[in-house]
Parts: sequence; C-alpha cells; structure tokens
Amino acid sequence: MRLGTRKLLDKAFSALGMVSIALMAGALLVILVPIIGKGVGAVVFKATVEHRRILLEEFDRGNPEDIRAEIEATDELRSPVYGYFAAYENEISGTLDPMADIFRKIADESEHYGSKIARRMRKYDEAKNYEDREEAIERAYNLIAYSDDKDRFAEELAEIKSRMEEGEKRNKSFIEVSDAIRDLLGPFPGEPRPTLVRKRYGKTRWDRAEIAIHDVLYHEEWDYSDPSGMGVKREFPRVETFQGTKLEPLFAYVEEHAKEMLNPRYTFYTGFFTTSPKDSHIFGGILPELLGTLYLTVGAMLFAMPIGVVAAIFFTEYAGDSATVKILRTCVSTLAGVPSIVFGLFGLAFFINAIHIPKSVLAGSLTLALLILPTIIRASEEAIRAVPHTYREAALALGAGKWHTVVSVILPAALPGILTGSVISMGRAAGETAPIIFTAAVSVGKALGPLESILQPTPALSWNIYNLCTEHEAVDEIRHVQFGMVATLILLVLMLNLIAIIMRARISKKLRG
Amino acid sequence: MGEFIASTIGRGILFLVASTAAIAVLFIFYFIARDSIPFIRSEYIEQFFKSPDWYPSGSPPSFGALSLFIGSALVTLGAAVLAVPLGVAAAVCLSDVLPFDLRQLVKPVIEMLAAIPSVAYGFFALVVLAPLLQNDGGRVLSITWFAIAIPVGLLAVIIISDLLTSKVEDEKRRAVSRVVIGAALFGLAAWGVAAAGMYFDSMKVKTGTNALNVSFILGIMALPTIVSVSEDALQAVGRELREGSIALGATRAETLVKTIIPAASSGIFAAVLLGIMRALGETMVVWMASGNAAQIPEPIYNYLEPVRTLTATIAGDMGEADHVTGSARYHVLFTIGLCLLVFCFITNLASEWIVSRERKKLRGE
Repeated sequence: MRLGTRKLLDKAFSALGMVSIALMAGALLVILVPIIGKGVGAVVFKATVEHRRILLEEFDRGNPEDIRAEIEATDELRSPVYGYFAAYENEISGTLDPMADIFRKIADESEHYGSKIARRMRKYDEAKNYEDREEAIERAYNLIAYSDDKDRFAEELAEIKSRMEEGEKRNKSFIEVSDAIRDLLGPFPGEPRPTLVRKRYGKTRWDRAEIAIHDVLYHEEWDYSDPSGMGVKREFPRVETFQGTKLEPLFAYVEEHAKEMLNPRYTFYTGFFTTSPKDSHIFGGILPELLGTLYLTVGAMLFAMPIGVVAAIFFTEYAGDSATVKILRTCVSTLAGVPSIVFGLFGLAFFINAIHIPKSVLAGSLTLALLILPTIIRASEEAIRAVPHTYREAALALGAGKWHTVVSVILPAALPGILTGSVISMGRAAGETAPIIFTAAVSVGKALGPLESILQPTPALSWNIYNLCTEHEAVDEIRHVQFGMVATLILLVLMLNLIAIIMRARISKKLRG
Repeated sequence: MGEFIASTIGRGILFLVASTAAIAVLFIFYFIARDSIPFIRSEYIEQFFKSPDWYPSGSPPSFGALSLFIGSALVTLGAAVLAVPLGVAAAVCLSDVLPFDLRQLVKPVIEMLAAIPSVAYGFFALVVLAPLLQNDGGRVLSITWFAIAIPVGLLAVIIISDLLTSKVEDEKRRAVSRVVIGAALFGLAAWGVAAAGMYFDSMKVKTGTNALNVSFILGIMALPTIVSVSEDALQAVGRELREGSIALGATRAETLVKTIIPAASSGIFAAVLLGIMRALGETMVVWMASGNAAQIPEPIYNYLEPVRTLTATIAGDMGEADHVTGSARYHVLFTIGLCLLVFCFITNLASEWIVSRERKKLRGE
C-alpha cells in the first residue's frame, strides 16, 4: 500500500472514533434538548383564564377578586358565542314545521292512522325543545313508513325522509361545533356541572387552546381513496356547512376574539411540583409521583448503603484471597448483571408473595436496594482502596487496632468517594422502573406522608411516565405533563450525577495535593 | 482472650453482611425457579421453545415463546451492530487519540448517557423517534444510508484501486491505472449508493414502534458500557507495545488495529458481552417502543416490523396474570425470567473469567 493511502486510513480510523464520540454527544443532545425544552413547557406556559379559574376553584389558589373580575370580563366576551347558538337553535326548530304540516295533511286523509298521527302532532305542538319535536316527527314517520298506507303516501314520505336526512346531517355538524366550543371554553352557561373535572373547564393552556380553536373552525375527514397508501387527512371549514344560517357569524367571531375570550398570559406554574393531579393528570401537578420517587430512592439507600459499605470494608480490609471470598465477589458481579425486570419478579415472588409485605414503598425500596447494592459495594471498595497506605500505617503505628483504624481513619478519608458512588446509584434507583412495577408502583394515588407511605403503594415518576404515555385515555391532551415528568426525572438524575462528578473532581484534586 | 473473641465475632458479622449479595443471588435463583417449576412441569413446556404463538389468554392458551426469543435476539443483535463498532472506535479514540483535556470533557458525556433512566429513553423512542420514523421513515433511512455509505464508499474505492495497482512496477503507468480504475470503481460505487438510497427513500414504514427504533435506542444505551469497559482494557495494555509498534514504522491506526486491539481483545470482548447484556435485559424501552406484537418478522431480518421481547412480556403480562391462584399464565412469566437470569448469569461468568484471565496474562503469570 502507498504511504498516502496508509495515512488516509490512519486518519479515517481516527475519524471513526471521533464520529462515534460525536454521535454520543449528539445523541445526548437530541434526547435532552426536546425533552427538557418541552418539559419546561409544563411549568412555564401561556395560561388562559380557565387555568386561573381551576386554581381558584379546585386548588384554592390565586387572588379570588382578580380572578372573578377576569372571569366576568371574559364571560362578557363569550356571551355573543352563546347568543349565536341560541339563535341557530330557534332557527332550526322552524325547519321541522313543514314536515309537521305534511303529517297533519296525512292525518286528515288516512282512515286507519289519522288519530294516531294527530296525537303525535299534538305532542309536537306541546314539545318545548328541538329534540322532543324531532322525536315526534320521527315517530310519526316510522308509524306510516311501516304501515299498509306507506304506498299511498310514498311521495310525502320521500319528501319527509329527505328533509330528515338533511336535518340530521346539519345536526351532526352542529353537535360537533357545540362540542368543540365546550372543549375550548367549558360548558355552556346554565348547563349542569359535569361530573368529570376535565369537562368543567375550557382549555387551560394557550397551545392546546389553539388546537381547539382550529377544531371549532375546521372539521377533518380521512380520505382513503388511494388504495396503496395510507389515508390522507383533508380539512374543510365548518362555516361552509352553516352558510346562510344564524350560526355563520360564530366562526368569524371565534377566530377574531378567541384570544380575548381566553386571555392567555405567561405563567410560572409552581403548582406543577407542589400539587396533586386532578382527573388523571389533566389538571394539577405531579407531587405524589415526586414524593413516591423520593421515598423509594431514600428507602433503597437506607437499606443498601450500610450493607454496601460494610461489605466493601470486608472485601478490602479483612477478606483474603480465599475461595469463599472469590465466590462472594462473583456473586456481587452476578447480582450486577441480573436484568432489572428479574429483580421485579423476585420482589414479587419473595417480598410480596413469600414474606407477605404488601405492595408498598417498603417492598419497592428493598427490591431497589438489591439492585444498587453491587454498585455501592464496588464504588466503596474503590474509594477505600484509594486511601493512601501511609494513613493505615500511621494509624497502626500509633497503636490503633484494625477495626479502630478502619472506623476512625480509613472510612472518613474514603467517605467522599463512597458518597460519590452512592449518589450515582441513587440516580439509578430513582430512574428504575421495572423493579417497582410489581412491588410498589400504582398509577393513581394521593400524595403520602413519609410514615404512611411505608406500607402503601405509591405513584412514582418513572412508572407514571410509562403509564401516562401509553395507557392514558387522552395521551395527546397531556403531552406537556409527560414531558414535564420526564424532564423532572432526567434533571433529578443528572443533578445527582453532576454532584458526583464535582465531588470526584475535588477528591482527585485533594489526592494529587 | 476477650479481644480475640470480640474480633472473631466482629469478623463473622462483617462476613455475614458481605454475603448479603451472595444470599440475594441464591434467593433470586431459588424464588424465580420455584415459581417457574409449575410451568416447566405442565404440558405447555413443549410448545414454549417451539411454537411462535403467544396467546396466553386464549382458550386453550398457547405459550409459544419462540417469537419472544426471536424478538429479543433481533433487537439485541441490532443494538450490537450499532454499538460494538462505534463503542470500540470511541474507546480507542478516548484511550489513544484524544488529548487528555478533551478526554476529560468526553467522559461526563458518556456518564450522562449512562445515567439517563431507561424510561426516559423509552419515552424518547415512543414520543419523538416513532412518529419521525412513521411519517418520514424513508427519508430518515436514506439520509442515514448516505451518511454512512458515502465516506465508507469513497474510502473503499481509494483503497481497492491502490491495492489493485500496487503490483505495477512502472511509476507512471501505476499512477495512470490507479486513476482509471479509481474512476471506474467510483462510478460503480456512486451508482450503487444512489440506487440503494433511492430504494430506502421510497420505503414506507408502517409503524414507528418497530425493531429498528428499539435497536437504535438500545444501541445508544449499550454504548457507555462498551466504551468505558473497553477503554479500561485498552489502557491496561502497556506503553511498550505501542512504542514498539510505532518504532517499527506502523501508523497509529496500524498500531491500534494490529497490536493494541488484539492485545486487549479479551477485555473488549468482555465489554461487548456486558453491553449486549444491558440491551437484552432492558425492559422499559422495548416495552414502550417495540410495538409488542408477538410475531416473527417476515422476512426475519425485517427490522421495520414490530416485535415483542422477553422482558417486555414479563412486564406487560404480569398485570393480567392471576398470581393469587397461580395459573400457568403467571408461572410462564417466571419461566421467561429464569431463561433471562440463566443467560445473564452465564454471560456474566464468561466475561468475568475472560477479564481475570487477561489480568493474569498482563501481570505475566
């Protein structure tokens, strides 16, 4: 090979290494930037008046007078919307009258069914709202359409049928529009208070509100005419359906005044960390999950750290190189290699089914403790080994016993290193999901106090991230909560790691003098 | 005398505490095995390794885990294909190419990558990567293909034309023939790369939650393990080998490929085993983003199909399995767990043995 080619290969080889390092850094960025960027959106966002209304009504927060005044002002602006709806309802109830007239004519002519039809029409006249009237017409129609008179009145029936179909089509779009408005602004004035909390309020975030406004203005249809590919989404303005009716001005009004009706303002929502969720995370914060993760992590550390440090002391100071010790060491590395889901299975089979601890923080932390034990043992061993031999010799020369030396000289010197390793494994415990699925985690739960949590299952960040983005009934609706949770968990873990990195840098500086 | 007793008791206590890990390992094996025995003894065990039909809730139920084993194998293999070359290259770069200061900057990146919780990786795969693959799958594949194929292709063209012409004696004729062969090869390669790129670009990805997505994420997750363990192995190879090789006129790449990497090969192999174990044992990512379809992809190397893995099955099916009465649905999950456990145990022992053998060799025993 030519020297030039060899040099090129040499460069290419280095480049491959650089590229893979760049890829790792890139992957880190690609993962962290969107998650943390969107996660911030759970806390800092443009909140609408509905957000402040919820804070006041469901969480007792905010200044009642200001918020009431704001609600009144926005309600004022919303009243035209409801005005259009009322006018339209009036208008369409008139569209049934021609059909009623036809039936009255049939009632006069038909010998067999005349009286029955007349009774239906009396009901029609007495009915107060559109739906009841529609029902009366429909029943009258069914009466004739399935009778022996159906051929005699075929012409009339056909006309009524076509009018009914037209009305149905319009009604369907009308119901869609009113549902879209409910989605955007909350229930109509005078409607009974919905049982589901999510239906009681309009859109609390302006970004979600913009989507809801779009839903008011357009309806979408999926076109599957292309047999080879997937369906294509097409959008049509709803205003086309209501051309010439009293509802037509609604769309222009919503488009123009939506912002004033919702009054979005930038908000720093600390409640995301300090309040419990309402209506499966559609409103409120992530306090129960945060606390759950905290309890599980601290619990795991409480069990794993003493055992881990003592084991490390044994391995470094007391154990020789005997066969037993070798087996013990192999067991530590075997434990480190057990897949996390198998820890979960073990927790279920042993802690819960065999010794009957209930599914709880206790069972979860014990399982997690086993998972992080090898990491703590190894880190502590390394830290103890890093203590210079002179320390040991000096202590022994002063007449201290072995145990005394370990406790009063070596452990204090190794403590920063031990803590570094422990902090890293704390991050690992906080982020693990698989071991707690069967032993500790539940999807919905209230924020628990430290003591009551011991024997109760708890929501936890890691589990609820999974749960919210795969099993929640309104996955897209709560993207911000999911991103907020993931960002919280990642920042928590990275912060712990950062602490460890800084501590380690300090130690290495100290050791270098 | 009293002191002796005290120290013996103290030692005993220390020993007991230190054997917690050993006791835990024993308990894990015992309890996982105990709960899988009812399944192993049942009539279903025959189909377990042979049948690809996983319908644990059907009547009669079918517990064929073959598709799960293949699913796990596929995503682990995919992760290894990505992570092993990149990881080893990065480790070599860290230990032998990069200056010290830069290395100190790269290490935290690797540590952070290792620290990100698996559920966060799973969330990324499900919420960011899967829609991207589903909507612009062809584009993503073709861009990736070009990014890999263009530099590799160029390099291959140069090397092959150089190798083919190295026998020609006359200097002038050699240069000319090199250019001619190079140009011809370049044309061929460019056509091949472009055609393949067009093919990838026209591909339609049915679902974003598939084996490719999961393999990619698992590869990223396995990288830190592979990099840090193989870097340790490379560092352990002494300076003498490096200096000797360079003194003989080898370039740095030749030194690394022909001398250092072979010397550290067992350590690197252990690193690869550990990385693969991490990918195989991973639960959340595969549960969230693999599509969870218990099927063998058609054809089997089709990474754009959804798969279901062993770990995800344990996590996903336990909720439905009735563990109070202990049905076959419950015990089969423990059997899967036992398979994972045994595999990881053997792999772990193997890597441990390899590393200790290497240590002995380096110490010159």
